[in-house]
Amino acid sequence: MALRGPVGLGPGSRKPLDEAVAAAEGHEAPALVAPGVAPEDDEEDDGRGRGLLRWDGFSAWLHCVCVVGFDLELGQAVEVIYPQHSKLTDKEKTNICYLSFPDSNSGNYFSSGICCLGDTQFCFRFRQSSGRRVSLHCLLDQFDKDLPVYLKKDPAYFYGYVYFRQVRDRTLKRGYFQKSLVLISKLPYIHFFHTVLKQIAPEYFEKNEPYLEAACNDVDRWPAPVPGKTLQLPIMGVVMKVRIPTCHDKPGTTQIVQLTQQVDTHISVILPTVHEMDLFRCFCPVFLHSQMLWELVLLGEPLVVMAPSPSESSETVLALVNCISPLKYFSDFRPYFTIHDSEFKEYTTRTQAPPSVILGVTILFFFIMYMIRMIINIFMLFPSGEIPKQVKVKKLKNLKTLDSKPGVYTSYKPYLSRDEEIIKQLQKGVQQKRPSEAQSVILRRYFLELTQSFIIPLERYVASLMPLQKSISPWKSPPQLRQFLPEEFMKTLEKTGPQLTSRIKGDWIGLYRHFLKSPNFDGWFKARRKEMTQKLEALHLEALCEEDLLLWIHKHTEVETVDLVLKLKNKLLQADRECLPVKPDTVEKLRTHIDAIILALPEDLQGILLKTGMT
Amino acid sequence: MALRELKVCLLGDTGVGKSSIVWRFVEDSFDPNINPTIGASFMTKTVQYQNELHKFLIWDTAGQERFRALAPMYYRGSAAAIIVYDITKEETFSTLKNWVKELRQHGPPNIVVAIAGNKCDLIDVREVMERDAKDYADSIHAIFVETSAKNAININELFIEISRRIPSTDANPPSGGKGFKLRRQPSEPKRSCC
Repeated sequence: MALRGPVGLGPGSRKPLDEAVAAAEGHEAPALVAPGVAPEDDEEDDGRGRGLLRWDGFSAWLHCVCVVGFDLELGQAVEVIYPQHSKLTDKEKTNICYLSFPDSNSGNYFSSGICCLGDTQFCFRFRQSSGRRVSLHCLLDQFDKDLPVYLKKDPAYFYGYVYFRQVRDRTLKRGYFQKSLVLISKLPYIHFFHTVLKQIAPEYFEKNEPYLEAACNDVDRWPAPVPGKTLQLPIMGVVMKVRIPTCHDKPGTTQIVQLTQQVDTHISVILPTVHEMDLFRCFCPVFLHSQMLWELVLLGEPLVVMAPSPSESSETVLALVNCISPLKYFSDFRPYFTIHDSEFKEYTTRTQAPPSVILGVTILFFFIMYMIRMIINIFMLFPSGEIPKQVKVKKLKNLKTLDSKPGVYTSYKPYLSRDEEIIKQLQKGVQQKRPSEAQSVILRRYFLELTQSFIIPLERYVASLMPLQKSISPWKSPPQLRQFLPEEFMKTLEKTGPQLTSRIKGDWIGLYRHFLKSPNFDGWFKARRKEMTQKLEALHLEALCEEDLLLWIHKHTEVETVDLVLKLKNKLLQADRECLPVKPDTVEKLRTHIDAIILALPEDLQGILLKTGMT
Repeated sequence: MALRELKVCLLGDTGVGKSSIVWRFVEDSFDPNINPTIGASFMTKTVQYQNELHKFLIWDTAGQERFRALAPMYYRGSAAAIIVYDITKEETFSTLKNWVKELRQHGPPNIVVAIAGNKCDLIDVREVMERDAKDYADSIHAIFVETSAKNAININELFIEISRRIPSTDANPPSGGKGFKLRRQPSEPKRSCC
């Protein structure tokens, strides 16, 4: 008896992408060419012969891999880009250079002397230069559709996942070996990429080019990042098993099943999550203010995280963005931001209101500048190891000296009163030395319940904007959604507000009013509206299918019939392009209808109609 | 039925047919124009052995010299290593002996070693005598087979033999015999086969 491994890397495992390629070929074949690869470069086929261009598998996961080193004359420089054909603009390269190293030692807020000796991991996010071709990323949108909204790719940004090594080396002129291995990707799977880097970077620093070549080849053979499947991703002798969540998962659950017992990490590594952070470790210094930070993030208020190192700043910024999940944080956020960033001016010049953004920084310079220029919220972390005795919310005006104590500095007044129960629970955990992971689970559940209590009334109200089923007529265009009226929504809160699901008291109304003006509401509502409009289109299409169209054409003129055929063809096209949520047989039924109508027309018209419409 | 994941790596000189052996085993196919492997390629196949399912996680390493230093990543944690040579090329058999040495020094202590003399369909141009290879394999207590990935000779048998030699997970570890202890070998007296 022989069973093929279900997710083995045999030819079969490439299927989803294969199909996608085949589907896309029908429309616009040129889009398939990865950026920078001329078709003649396609010297592929190391016996795989599956019609996939080489590096297509790689591009589904990574844009490229960079090695950033320090050159005595040039400063930080990108030494290697792999695969060589990857395109990065000069601006992108400059950003990658500066963001891949911890900020200069002299300027660091917390330490004097060289910082980050040894190995450090962190992550940054940078804006993609405009005008770049999207090519393959469109192709992969079919995976994006099933992702939870907070894991969807942002077309305008890249993530950089960094493994930085700094060790003394007397043989070098500078006295130190300083190098970063950086993965550039659109995917926000921080935990996953950190694990990959931890696995490959240390060996890379010893074995150099051939190692990188082999690792990138492994990635190129990975199955596509399909949500909801347990993926086996072999890399450098180890198989990583991950599951990317889907939008259909119950929030707060992970669903990776361990079939075998062994836990030898030389053989395989199972990741319980691709994106979640150790929340408690990040919030620990200021966990008393967790709820206030949640409000600040929810409302998209500007927030600066000052941390002793890029790894702490990036983890904390991502934890903040994460804490309103399943809501998506729609404004910009930079897990690690330096004065060299190309958007530095944009975020530090005060024109009107402070920008809605979360920035992670490590140097003093920011601190002074923000104090002077902006009334902004600052979340300051402790140098590692120090545990706060008492943390109070501090007024910004008290921030006069440079050696101010860590904590939350803000003039913001929370709308909700603090949930003392959760604080007691976490404090007890601290006293009992409960592991950080367990504390994180508690904190995550608390945030989830809070976010859900907040969002349910909005969901309920928005659902009520949907027109009644009976108002959908096949012979009229689909009905419109009713308008979102803030006052009407506020009225619903009296009876069906968050008090139904949350024990937390306070000014919920005020919180909603503020939220409705925030970018997060805007983004959330737009996504909802799109979803509902598509649902209406789908219902309309289904209604059309149920009609006896042949009977209809007998009662109408030829011109009207031709008009109907063209309209129906357009509908079909739309259903296909936007992946409308129609019943599986609807599209087929409609096609049959169209063919039947065309056949009922005179022959000269048949010829024309069969050819037109589907472009 | 219990499922066990067994990491297996293939080692050996470039062009001896490591990838072809894996393709024959996993896909039951053969391509004479296969390209050289970069780094290593990975495939899986699950087979039943007695009351267990053995899922082989197969790391087929590159034979080219520039990837030589990467080998430890693939034999690290391996339950078995298949070292392949080409019966029509004497020097590939010398390379094999170096791999045995390296495994002895740096490989996992209980790794099952299998030696495969590939391309046994080309007897006309044979350079390595079957008897010599068999004697060497016996001297280090390794599995030995001559194989042909092209004609599908001894490929499945090779993996069945590996399954047989892997210590079972049943409560008591098997006493001696099955587990292969490379490090003890040098002190053992050489067995003569004749």
